[in-house]
Amino acid sequence: MKRALITGITGQDGSYLSELLLGKGYEVHGIVRRASTFNTERLQALYRDPHDPAARLFLHYGDVGDGTGLRRILEKVRPEEVYNLAAQSHVRVSFDQPEYTADAVATGALRLLEALRDYSSLSGRSVRVYQAGSSEMFGAAPPPQDESTPFHPRSPYAVSKVAAHWYGINYRESYGMFISNGILFNHESPRRGETFVTRKVTRAVARIKVGLQQKLYLGNLEAKRDWGFAGDYVEAMWRMLQADKADDFVVATGESYSVRDLVNVAFAHVGLDPKGYVDVDPRYFRPAEVDHLHGNASKARKMLDWTPKVGFRELTAMMVDHDLEVAKQEKTLREAGHNPIGRGATE
Amino acid sequence: MGKRAVICGISGQDGAYLAASLLQKGYTVFGTSRDAQVSAFSGLHELHIAGDVHLESMALTDFRSVLQVLVKCEPDEVYNLAGQSSVGLSFQQPVETLESFATGTLNLLEAIRFRGQPVRLYNAGSSECFGDVLHTDADETTAFRPRSPYAVAKSAAHWEVANYREAYNLFACSGILFNHESPLRRERFVTRKIVAAAVRIAKGSGERLKLGELSIQRDWGWAPEYVEAMWKMLQLDKPEDFVIATGQTNSLESFVASAFECVGLHWRDHVDSTAALMRPSEIRMSRANPAKAFTLLNWRAKNKMRDVVELMVAAEQARTPS
Repeated sequence: MKRALITGITGQDGSYLSELLLGKGYEVHGIVRRASTFNTERLQALYRDPHDPAARLFLHYGDVGDGTGLRRILEKVRPEEVYNLAAQSHVRVSFDQPEYTADAVATGALRLLEALRDYSSLSGRSVRVYQAGSSEMFGAAPPPQDESTPFHPRSPYAVSKVAAHWYGINYRESYGMFISNGILFNHESPRRGETFVTRKVTRAVARIKVGLQQKLYLGNLEAKRDWGFAGDYVEAMWRMLQADKADDFVVATGESYSVRDLVNVAFAHVGLDPKGYVDVDPRYFRPAEVDHLHGNASKARKMLDWTPKVGFRELTAMMVDHDLEVAKQEKTLREAGHNPIGRGATE
Repeated sequence: MGKRAVICGISGQDGAYLAASLLQKGYTVFGTSRDAQVSAFSGLHELHIAGDVHLESMALTDFRSVLQVLVKCEPDEVYNLAGQSSVGLSFQQPVETLESFATGTLNLLEAIRFRGQPVRLYNAGSSECFGDVLHTDADETTAFRPRSPYAVAKSAAHWEVANYREAYNLFACSGILFNHESPLRRERFVTRKIVAAAVRIAKGSGERLKLGELSIQRDWGWAPEYVEAMWKMLQLDKPEDFVIATGQTNSLESFVASAFECVGLHWRDHVDSTAALMRPSEIRMSRANPAKAFTLLNWRAKNKMRDVVELMVAAEQARTPS
């Protein structure tokens, strides 16, 4: 049975990837940062108590900021595949937390590669490594973007991802390690973090529809992105590690839409006109913007036999439907006289 | 009122030459090192300027330290030359290397942004970021393809500078300098190692010079000229990145041959190439197009590889008593 280790397992991609790998019969291990409240909500459906003999998902406390801990986990888990998804993953926040972002994304990747380099050479076992790159690395480079497009990062997040990308290549070239960079364009789902624009919009649409919210404040409506479904994209990650040789791949739908398009499609799905509900708040503008990301994934399609199944409209509908259900649950509780208790709240 | 400059990395080769140049231009010069009381500052002493530079301790990886030095020195210009500067060592100290360049540069950028004063920042970029330059000479638009932890770290710092320039309109720029040498180079760097050995062998040391890969090709220039380019970049109206190089590429073998020729010897009689000195990943070919610097900075390298060798050999011979 193959063993995989995932950093960032508590995130969106971590949960879809875990689901995929468990479905393929893997034993899946994840690194989780210690917090005083549960932070593994996205894994609840998959998680079994470790005393259960059928359990194949195991979580370990660790942090890409702690290299010694990473080494210990590698020795304990002895994975055949490692997926480095850990990050401070919000572009706008990275302008206000540039140092932390660099430490988690760039130095974190480096610490992990260093630990893997030694683990492989001491144990004699080879490990296949997936490094999470990002279309944000292309930044201001004109679209469409593919594997040969030069990087022009426009945020501390993007700069850090560029560094991590090149460490992956350098360790591949210097030490013969099997390391593949996935340059994934935006990928969303009902499990997306609530402060990312797609989920922010679909939650707002749902809450506005049931009367729990009045306004949606957004930043730059003209920014264009290539949005796909995270469930499709983790399949590409896995395929990269099954290939004969390590390589770097763009993963994208090949279609680009603006935030304004997203707003229009999401509101239309619940039969509302966005006018009157949507306002622009400059606090969401970025000091340096990425205007247009539009990926060319022909290499992944051809060499990994990968295709995205869910397109933009279907994705938006999926997310709005999910958030509508969540909003209705909350509304039901309130109408029944309850005050819904937030996680960790005492009131 | 003269201008004030802070040079981070004053104990290195470029720091010393830059300090000498700025002092000549009438600047008040502050130089920083991680511990100013412990460092030897041999470069400053060799150039006879140690008494004229105000020395400050500054740890670039500590924001508080960076901020306090900027507040105390109130510079018009900051030259960031600090960091773990050995490509070879970076394979063994990749995290230290990354932190010294990426975190260090970030702290400078953040401190400047935080204070909101009009400080001009020069950042030391590196031709190592280009990696192997295969088809045409590298210029400012050539994509990076770093091949060592040093080069990755320098690339990160380069992009941080560009991002802060674009996002916050800071006057911040990177000089993408190709290899630049001088008698102040430490012996861990191959050029000085070769010159020092050639001079010792010519004096009868009987040693054999061990080197790694001799076929690698580099553009070698004269460091005192290169620091002039750094200063010129900060005098422009707008901040821009520049390639600084001679435009002439030679193999390490021809550098070695020139050095031994200068002392009247044939290099093949005294040199061994050993695998132990080869790097896990190496740049085979590095070549530059410095046309933008000529056009916009009116800067051009007068000394090419052969001149660099002759100057370094002469200085080495003057250093050692016969």
